[in-house]
Amino acid sequence: MSTIEALYIFDEQNTPLLEHTYIGRPPASSTLLPLYLAHPSPRPSLIYLPNTNPPTLLYSIIQDQLLFLCPCSSDTESLQVLEFLHRVADVLEDFLGSPLLAGKIEGHYDVVAQLLNEMVDGGVIACTEPNALRDVVDAPNFMKSLLGGVGLPSSTPSSLTPSSSPFSLAARPSPRLGPSTSPQSTSPVPWRRANVRHTSNEMYVDIVETLEVTLSPSGRPLSAIANGTIAFTAKVSGVPDLMLYLGCPGGIQNAVALPVFHPCVRLNRWKERPGELSFVPPDGRFVLAGYEVDLLGSAALESFSASATAKSLPKLNIPATVSVHPSLGPTGSDFEVRLRLNPRFTGKSASPHPSTAAAKGGLGRGMSATSFSSSGTTSAPAIEEMVVHIPLPSSVRNISDLRVIRGIGDAEYGPGDRIIEWRISSREISSLMSQNRGGDIGATATLRGTLIGQEDDSSDALDNGGPVSFSASTYDYDDDQTSSYQTTLHTAQSKEHSADADSKRIKSNKVLMPSCATVSFSVKGWLPSGIKVESLNVDQKRSKGLGSGVTPYKGVKYLCVSRRGVECRC
Amino acid sequence: MHPSNFAHWSLSTARDLTLEAARDASQVRRTSTKELPSGQLKKLLDSRSERDVLEGLRRVITMSYRQPPSQTLPFFSHVIKNVASPSLPVKKLVYIYLLQHAEHEPDTALLSINTIQKSLTDTNPQLRALALRVMSSIRVPVISQIVSLGIKRGAGDMSPYVRRAAALAIPKCYRLDPNTEPQLLEYLSTLLGDKQYFVTGAAVASFLELCPDRLDLIHPHYRSLVPKLVDMDEWGQLATLRLMVVYARKCFPRRTRKVKKAASSTYTNAKPIKSTKGFYESESESEEEQEQDMEEIVVLDPDLELLLKSCQSLLQSRNAAVVIAVARTYLYLGTLDYLSQAIGPLISLLRSAGGIQHIALYNIVQVCLAHPEAFVKYYTHFLVRSTDAPHIWRLKLELLTLIFPHAQPRLQSLILAELSHFSHSGSLDPALVKESVRAIGRCSQSPATSPQTSARCLKLLLKHIGSADTHLVAESLEVIRHLIQRDPNAHRTTVVRLAKHLDAATSPQARASIIWLVGEFAGIDPENNMAADVLRILVKGFADEAEPAKLQIVLLAAKVYVHHLNANPPPELPKVEEPKPSPSLLDDYQEEGGFRDEHLESPPQAMESQQQEKPHIIEALYNYVLLLVRYDTSYDLRDRARVYKALLATPTSTQLASLLLLAPKPVPHTPSPSETRKDYVLGSASLVIGDEGGVGGLKGYEDLPRWVKDGHEPDPALRDQTNSTASSTYVSTYEAAKNMSAAERLDAAAGGSSRMTPDSMLSPRSLNGMGGHSGIGAGVSKEKQKEKTLDDWLAEESGSEETDEEEDDEDEEEGETEEEESEYETESESGDEGDRLVKDT
Repeated sequence: MSTIEALYIFDEQNTPLLEHTYIGRPPASSTLLPLYLAHPSPRPSLIYLPNTNPPTLLYSIIQDQLLFLCPCSSDTESLQVLEFLHRVADVLEDFLGSPLLAGKIEGHYDVVAQLLNEMVDGGVIACTEPNALRDVVDAPNFMKSLLGGVGLPSSTPSSLTPSSSPFSLAARPSPRLGPSTSPQSTSPVPWRRANVRHTSNEMYVDIVETLEVTLSPSGRPLSAIANGTIAFTAKVSGVPDLMLYLGCPGGIQNAVALPVFHPCVRLNRWKERPGELSFVPPDGRFVLAGYEVDLLGSAALESFSASATAKSLPKLNIPATVSVHPSLGPTGSDFEVRLRLNPRFTGKSASPHPSTAAAKGGLGRGMSATSFSSSGTTSAPAIEEMVVHIPLPSSVRNISDLRVIRGIGDAEYGPGDRIIEWRISSREISSLMSQNRGGDIGATATLRGTLIGQEDDSSDALDNGGPVSFSASTYDYDDDQTSSYQTTLHTAQSKEHSADADSKRIKSNKVLMPSCATVSFSVKGWLPSGIKVESLNVDQKRSKGLGSGVTPYKGVKYLCVSRRGVECRC
Repeated sequence: MHPSNFAHWSLSTARDLTLEAARDASQVRRTSTKELPSGQLKKLLDSRSERDVLEGLRRVITMSYRQPPSQTLPFFSHVIKNVASPSLPVKKLVYIYLLQHAEHEPDTALLSINTIQKSLTDTNPQLRALALRVMSSIRVPVISQIVSLGIKRGAGDMSPYVRRAAALAIPKCYRLDPNTEPQLLEYLSTLLGDKQYFVTGAAVASFLELCPDRLDLIHPHYRSLVPKLVDMDEWGQLATLRLMVVYARKCFPRRTRKVKKAASSTYTNAKPIKSTKGFYESESESEEEQEQDMEEIVVLDPDLELLLKSCQSLLQSRNAAVVIAVARTYLYLGTLDYLSQAIGPLISLLRSAGGIQHIALYNIVQVCLAHPEAFVKYYTHFLVRSTDAPHIWRLKLELLTLIFPHAQPRLQSLILAELSHFSHSGSLDPALVKESVRAIGRCSQSPATSPQTSARCLKLLLKHIGSADTHLVAESLEVIRHLIQRDPNAHRTTVVRLAKHLDAATSPQARASIIWLVGEFAGIDPENNMAADVLRILVKGFADEAEPAKLQIVLLAAKVYVHHLNANPPPELPKVEEPKPSPSLLDDYQEEGGFRDEHLESPPQAMESQQQEKPHIIEALYNYVLLLVRYDTSYDLRDRARVYKALLATPTSTQLASLLLLAPKPVPHTPSPSETRKDYVLGSASLVIGDEGGVGGLKGYEDLPRWVKDGHEPDPALRDQTNSTASSTYVSTYEAAKNMSAAERLDAAAGGSSRMTPDSMLSPRSLNGMGGHSGIGAGVSKEKQKEKTLDDWLAEESGSEETDEEEDDEDEEEGETEEEESEYETESESGDEGDRLVKDT
């Protein structure tokens, strides 16, 4: 019945980093790792290994290039173990700083051991709340180790030290050494550690939306979902009680669907008044809520096939779309990928959109759009890190003549993973944008390439008499020579069917064509859903321990990401 | 986690550098640890300076993770010496070391027990909890009684942390020495009734470890456990939900009531949930057929309803396992109304990381198999993306086909377009092509699909035949074959069309499929059949065919021949009825035999002679095919040809041949791939692994218990808010209150007092205002609340006796309308009471 029998962690080279057995005699990490690696990639998160003793269910996650394995000898709730592994990774990251590195674990085995012992007791998951763990385990303090006990109080913010996340290591009260521990060492709120004190009180809201858009060949959106995450960083003394008001042009309850909340959020408040999040935050950085937004609205299906005119397309306001045009050229071996950039995301604040311009209003003093290192701001969002990926079928042998015929960027073909990568830097984007300033369509860029198949069979030989595409010609002739005995056989026929040959060629080249293209990018200061933080307040009456008159510094960031999320089919 | 962490990004550029630096640093650290000679390390451990000891311990712990235990074992006594250190950090590290090595040196480990035991009385609750945890984790069986005593003390501790540690120690103690079980059950029963959600979660987990079958321990605590569900931590919620599914199945018989079926169509699907066992066991099942216009509505026990309602707010949990657990509760215990609430949260799991998404998909498919209608509106989440891994898109395609029959026409065409997109342009992955073609097949085969849609699917598949992608063509034909077989008469023209395609089709599998189909249809409409013609054309190019196609050509020839013989029986046929073979028959037979022999010697002659004698073209074709096959290189082909030849050796007796060759083929049924795992419980690992884990699931898999039969369930009065000792006296009250809802009954029992103690924890939801309580004072205090049931009120009025009741007034629905009677109690009293309860029971 016990769920967690052992925990194994491996580094990026799959050398064992940590082996912690909780209960029983699970197979050793040295036996499990080869079996895990023997499973063909991509490996599912749950693998059944019937040949170990005892037969083992192996759960695995990979976070920050570290591999976490957890063997189980009996049937358990599968998601429970996986969630636990994620929590372990989160807690380690919280204590050791993000990103989680092998060296950090190796350097702090004592802390890691304490954490692992606290998190699982006798195979039963006991406590995974980072804040609760901070009450019982001292986080490694980099300042302290640097000063080596010179006698200085080590409550200096440790974010000064390199390789420590500014979020995870906040200023802490002097470490509890010796038996002088105060009796109030345990917090009354399970997710918030006791005696939080900060010299400067700060709160940050980061709303990140990840785009998942699927466009049909005609450019019609089939689905457009933005997965939102509200990450909150609280560095506020005492036990603050916060209110976060979210707003959205169309009404928040229409936009936000299927929300998921951190346990600290008062559900009743949200249910009564959607858009209002009332909570006592844990100390540090945490994910406050997750939600999704259907950008097409519920009427999308009706418009899908109601009328075929492009006018009726649901308006989808995303920074970039792409379209693939396969089977071009005389033999159908060419393809073209057209990237279209939305003119709104030029990064120039010439025409700020009304909905985004107002984002600064309503927020309390000190709440301002945090300045980004780059040009993207709330009023003038700009596209960054634009990459177009075009996966190719396995029958493609090579690409000849891959070039950007309009616009700019670097296109590369990686034969190993069969994918074309077309990168456009943000500087190139802005210059592209500036070229067609007046156009409503926005900037476009086009990539063209010619595909060459794995093995050109006899249908290529048929092509002898037909027009041969210039770019692919060398290969074609090579093939003709090798298969010349066939050619001679078929010469007579091919003369007759020369008109037919092209269509056959096109047909056979169809197999080589890419079936989709995906766009990755990030836009700072803009959210596809239009959700924005109306205000963030500390409820002074319900808060405790925060000195009166103290107003924490507040900051809000919006970010829209697409990680191969905008996909166009053809 | 933090799926989208700025910090990550800003660091990602400098990441490689950081990686290097970190590795270098760790290298230095590692070597320094290694280089330190053991003597020096021992000196550190023996040092009087706390900092040195701490440093030494750190090094030892590091060593214990990097090297086998034999390397760190020599330090055992040096480390254990420090167990008495007053410093908490030192203690913690000593404990860690102790847990790792105690088994190797049990005797020396025992030396430390005394000191640890002393820590059990420390003023710091954290230290007490730690000591209890460590003591119970030392795997030295001798100390089981000491551990048991420690648990007893811990169970009555004022700090919830210590009580929780005690709860978690119970299964460990049992493992140490199973003889302690009776005592442990006592402690567990106390802890299960704890007022602190923080403790009960752990107690339930221990209960599941120790004695999952002793549901009698749960009865008195059921009504206090269920409302606490909201406040527990996620792991406690998981344990409690798991317990409650079993409990409810065993304690709440499935009662159904007949009501007039609502006219609206919305109710057509609102059948009682298909928790099959319960459904069939319901007593009124037999009457169902008679009363078509009546429908059954599940009557939920008020206590069960309490459970279902308290689960609702867990659906917004960030923990995917909790969401699945609630869905499981609703699927197996609740009604469709409840289940439909869980659908959205299930879908929201698809946002999470890949691994969780994968397992969540299995669970979604499982629910979708039972209730596909509810998933239709979430179709956008099931669209396959190019970045999906194979194990993800496989499940997504299955979901699309499952919702297909229930979708509106527009959505149906969207799904079909989707599937056909992946079937023709998805040559990225041949498996995807295959799977999506099969999915189209399943769409059209589903019983709920209209004939028009079915025809549309077929049309879609027929379009693929000409494709250059051989996988696609082969798979499409396979599915087309299945479709045609389901209704052969409707598809005659389709077969003709397919036969025309033989000219173009190149893939051997595709050709084989077509030829087989032609053969199957050879018997239909004998006057106007093209099978023989197809055979004639195929025979011409026989030598160039691939083996699968050749096999089918031979089979086709045999079939055509049998049909020919059946339709035009040889003139001798009337004589067949005579028992003895006629001379002509014999002739014929000999002739056939002779023909065979001639074959060996001079085939062309045989052909000639055969043609002369038997001018009918079909027979000639058949013989020609056999002749060709005779000299084929494939063993299999030659063997088969021999079988057919023997079968059809006598043209007059074709019964056996007809039986073999023309047997009606069973209509192939292609169930949804996950159909095979349908019986596994939602959320279990067996569901994910499937049949690979062996029949009946993996080790440790437990199927749901059947619904208890009506009348066999435990007395509901056991759940009244009583001590187990006094419970039996309250039956009559329960009967009286039977028609009240659980909430009302809870209200009827007057709300007890609660007060804050310095050590108590706030209920998170009451802090939230979640529990419907106003202010903090109403939160669950750790202190035992004294509370009266109605009976107690009566009892008190009559002045007979006073019974202390454990009652929890966390009533979600009703709020606190009752006046509360407050009784104040001191800390020590509460402790005493705990002790007394233990003694009583």
